[in-house]
Amino acid sequence: MDYFKLPDLGEGLQEAEVIEWHVSIGEAVKQDQTLVSVETAKAIVDLPSPQDGRILKFYGKAGDIIHVGDPLVEFESKTAPESDTGTVVGKVEIGDAVVTERPITESHSSVSGFKATPAVRALASRFKVDLAMVKPSGKDNIITADDVQRVAKVIKKSGEMVPLKGVRRTMSLTMGQANREVVPVTISDDADINSWKIHEDISVRLIRAIAVSCKAEPSLNAWFDNHAIARILHKNVDLGVAVDTDHGLFVPVLRDVVNRDPVDLRKGLNAIKEAIKYRSIPPEEMRGSTITLSNFGTFAGRYANPVIVPPTVAIQGAGKIRDQIVPVGGQPEVHRILPLSLTFDHRAVTGGEAARFLATMLNDLGLPD
Amino acid sequence: MSEITLVDAVNMGLASEMEADPNVVVFGEDVGVNGGVFRATANLQKRFGSQRVFDTPLSETLIAGMSVGMAVEGLKPVAEIQFMGFVYSAIDQLINHASRIRNRTRGRLSCPMVLRVPFGGGIHAPEHHSESTEAIFAHIPGLRVVIPSSPSRAYGLLLAAIRDPDPVIFMEPIRVYRLVKQEVADNGEAQPLDVCFLLREGTDVTLVSWGAMIQEAMTAAEKLAESGVNAEVIDVATIKPLDMQTILDSVAKTGRCVIVHEAARTCGVGAEIAAQLSEQGLMSLFAAVERVTGYDTVMPLFNLEKEYMPGVDRIITAVKRTLEG
Amino acid sequence: MTSQNVKIVKKKHTAFVLDQQQVRSSVHFKILFHQILNADGLIVDNLPEFARQSEQLIALYRVMVKTRLFDEKAVSLQRRGQLGTYASSLGQEAIGAAIGSAMAEDDVLFPGYREYAAQFLRGVTMTDILLYWGGNEQGMNFKWQQYDFPICVPIASQAPQAVGAAYAMKLRDENRVVVCVVGDGATSKGDFYEAINAAGTWGLPIVFIINNNGWAISMPREAQTRAKTLAQKAIAAGFPGEQVDGNDVIILKHRIGQALSKARCGAGPTLIEALTYRLCDHTTADAASRYRSEHELKEQWQYEPLRRLKSYLHKIGCWSDLDEQNLLASCHEQIEKAVNQYLDTPSQPPESMFDYLYQSIPASLKEQRKSVIHWSKNSV
Repeated sequence: MDYFKLPDLGEGLQEAEVIEWHVSIGEAVKQDQTLVSVETAKAIVDLPSPQDGRILKFYGKAGDIIHVGDPLVEFESKTAPESDTGTVVGKVEIGDAVVTERPITESHSSVSGFKATPAVRALASRFKVDLAMVKPSGKDNIITADDVQRVAKVIKKSGEMVPLKGVRRTMSLTMGQANREVVPVTISDDADINSWKIHEDISVRLIRAIAVSCKAEPSLNAWFDNHAIARILHKNVDLGVAVDTDHGLFVPVLRDVVNRDPVDLRKGLNAIKEAIKYRSIPPEEMRGSTITLSNFGTFAGRYANPVIVPPTVAIQGAGKIRDQIVPVGGQPEVHRILPLSLTFDHRAVTGGEAARFLATMLNDLGLPD
Repeated sequence: MSEITLVDAVNMGLASEMEADPNVVVFGEDVGVNGGVFRATANLQKRFGSQRVFDTPLSETLIAGMSVGMAVEGLKPVAEIQFMGFVYSAIDQLINHASRIRNRTRGRLSCPMVLRVPFGGGIHAPEHHSESTEAIFAHIPGLRVVIPSSPSRAYGLLLAAIRDPDPVIFMEPIRVYRLVKQEVADNGEAQPLDVCFLLREGTDVTLVSWGAMIQEAMTAAEKLAESGVNAEVIDVATIKPLDMQTILDSVAKTGRCVIVHEAARTCGVGAEIAAQLSEQGLMSLFAAVERVTGYDTVMPLFNLEKEYMPGVDRIITAVKRTLEG
Repeated sequence: MTSQNVKIVKKKHTAFVLDQQQVRSSVHFKILFHQILNADGLIVDNLPEFARQSEQLIALYRVMVKTRLFDEKAVSLQRRGQLGTYASSLGQEAIGAAIGSAMAEDDVLFPGYREYAAQFLRGVTMTDILLYWGGNEQGMNFKWQQYDFPICVPIASQAPQAVGAAYAMKLRDENRVVVCVVGDGATSKGDFYEAINAAGTWGLPIVFIINNNGWAISMPREAQTRAKTLAQKAIAAGFPGEQVDGNDVIILKHRIGQALSKARCGAGPTLIEALTYRLCDHTTADAASRYRSEHELKEQWQYEPLRRLKSYLHKIGCWSDLDEQNLLASCHEQIEKAVNQYLDTPSQPPESMFDYLYQSIPASLKEQRKSVIHWSKNSV
């Protein structure tokens, strides 16, 4: 059944009075043919037919008030004489949604958690005891009330735990996640930087070396997707630079280091350090690094296994510069040495690729400028 | 006052209420001259006549449907379905009508009927005669489900059920019909519906049960006492509406709960009690709520009946599990 | 032994010869068909007393017209989305009109869902019916009718209940009768057989009326049973059954009236099969064109109940075109009023779903009741 309902007449008008029908029942009308004149509070309106069709029925005779949305005319249906509702009571909704499902066949989360009854958990909460700190003594590794009491006593003596907040907290969570996912391998070597000028900008040299090495071995400048087992090799090198502050570890991003000259890089680094000092760095600037530099050598340490933060697949560590006796043409010399540790994610990067990356690093850093 | 069996208590209750209220009528199959296959309606026809106590043709649908029509018309029908296994054909009348007539007429019509249904196993009966499916009725809004476990509660709860203005499914545990005797005064006093009965006070664990399993629960409690475990025993009695507060108060005291029912495990009434304990009593619990139940199988023919039904040993083992944690 | 090894032995068909001596009939029955006013509006049998009084016939005509116009309106409301699924009584108005007219005030009606004419005569309002199909339980909370049962949806389930009510009346020796209306489909159900069986066994004060409108959704009457008539099922239950023209309001009122009197004086039940036709779809969600021919439907219109009665009234000079106009106008006015009242009735508060489950709400439901109020306030 096709109905023509009294359309919205505008201006908030809700009803109209039927003045005169211009067609009759059984008549075949054309679209836009005037069907009926109705009077609103404001005017007399001629209503045109919305379709071709034959009139089956009028809903209202001259003088009747019809409300907006109420049927005025019933047309003979052009489709099936009666459409199939597909039910005998009520209304069964027909939707458009097409369901696509990707059933998850492997579980990605490991079962963790502590076994403790609710009463024991409530006890732990009351004493502010983190269940992770409690060694269970119950059967099946269940933490008992006694266990909680024991730890509570210890804490009372040694003082309360201070919860980590802000950046420190983020570091805890991020490192934890990295540990669960990444397969890290570190290779280390020493760069001979003896040919450098006196006040060479160490950070900028490291950044340039990384840019050059990413060009030589693009697979270390990539993101790896653990679930899809896929990677994207980035064209640009957006370098995450680890910055240690009183507030904690920050890794802001220095964008597009390949296409920037040393002056610009230094400016960029300074700007970042200022922004971090004054906590004015926007969150976007902390995201989207394609590879990371960790220059931990400011204080101490030669070699390390810096932690890769997914989805990046490599982190270049640089240790403290030192003097070292090295053989040159069979004779001992004292050279300035910059120790390097490259950690790569072996899910996405081969040993060969990493070694070649490191070799390029050594080579570039070995140049006078 | 005399010591009588549960089935005699039912008989006494029926007689008492029929005497007090001329609107009470009793009917079903073989309840008239025969006095009921379990003699629950013995001598009633002789005393109250064959208009008020009568036999119907063999049709459970008719029995349940008639109860609705009679109750709306102002009688107080107390009909009998011979065994729970035969109540299934009456379920349409109970679910589609008895439970809803008040609701669907906004109180204009109401249905004060009682359907007595002997149920449960352990009586060496042929198949279909040992059903325990109270969960079906417990699920239906608008019904009351009452299960007495002793002669005194059978008398008192039956009176309450007959006087209640809404439909009551009154399930009588056949195994206990003549198993025990108790002093019951024929004083016309009803016992309260919608409340649990505390049968034994304890401190270490709460045993929750109903019907014939109360026997096993009480025996288990005594045995546990010998080894120093003091069990509290609650007879739920009115399965629906459930008096959860009594159970919660008990578990707040003991911290441990074992539910015992003869009915099959999955979606049995024990599941509802356990869920509500989890919702409202979680912080009192020192151990998981245990359910000792019939298996999720068809009740076996009587050769294996004892294997199916929860015994004292299974209850004691479950209690011990709650004490381990 | 596999299926290949089994030799299939063809059964021999032999004629089964009955020893004629053994064939003794213990029961003979005849099912009579009654009619007074035929499809052409002619009187074909003796007019009963009430039918000689034109006001009585006019009253029947008026309620049938009102029912039909109401019915049209209800269907229209459903099409507009202002009423839920609705079961029309188109073409079957005579049965309801006769029932409502013949019953005493304190008799009890157990309807199916096409007895609006009877219900209107017994104090159920048009607004009640609209509220019911419009999704509001208040519709079955009749203000002006205290005994009758509500519309019954699970087929035939009203029958055993009707027996219970009749039993109560007999027990209390009352001067009241139960009328139980079922459809042709219902006569296949166990509930129906069990009910008539008990009614016959106990000689109860009950009249069973079958609205045989030829269709149970898409099942034609012939698919329900091999029995030649539905009325003869009463014979199996031990009491008389008869067929009447279900479009003839005069015979309907006559025979129903007689059955009621018989029951009232303790002579037991009767089964009346009223033969009519379902001129409408099963419900507003059904499309009968899927399973029955337009031709059959068109043909059946000639038998419908209003036309013949109007023709007769006209012939005896008791009904004019002006009367017809006035009646239509009056019905439209009443219907309009009822529709407005229905449309103006607000939904019940959500907590009402808790308030009529038991006489007083048990403690176990109080939290849930609060919860539904809370969620209702919070929903946009």
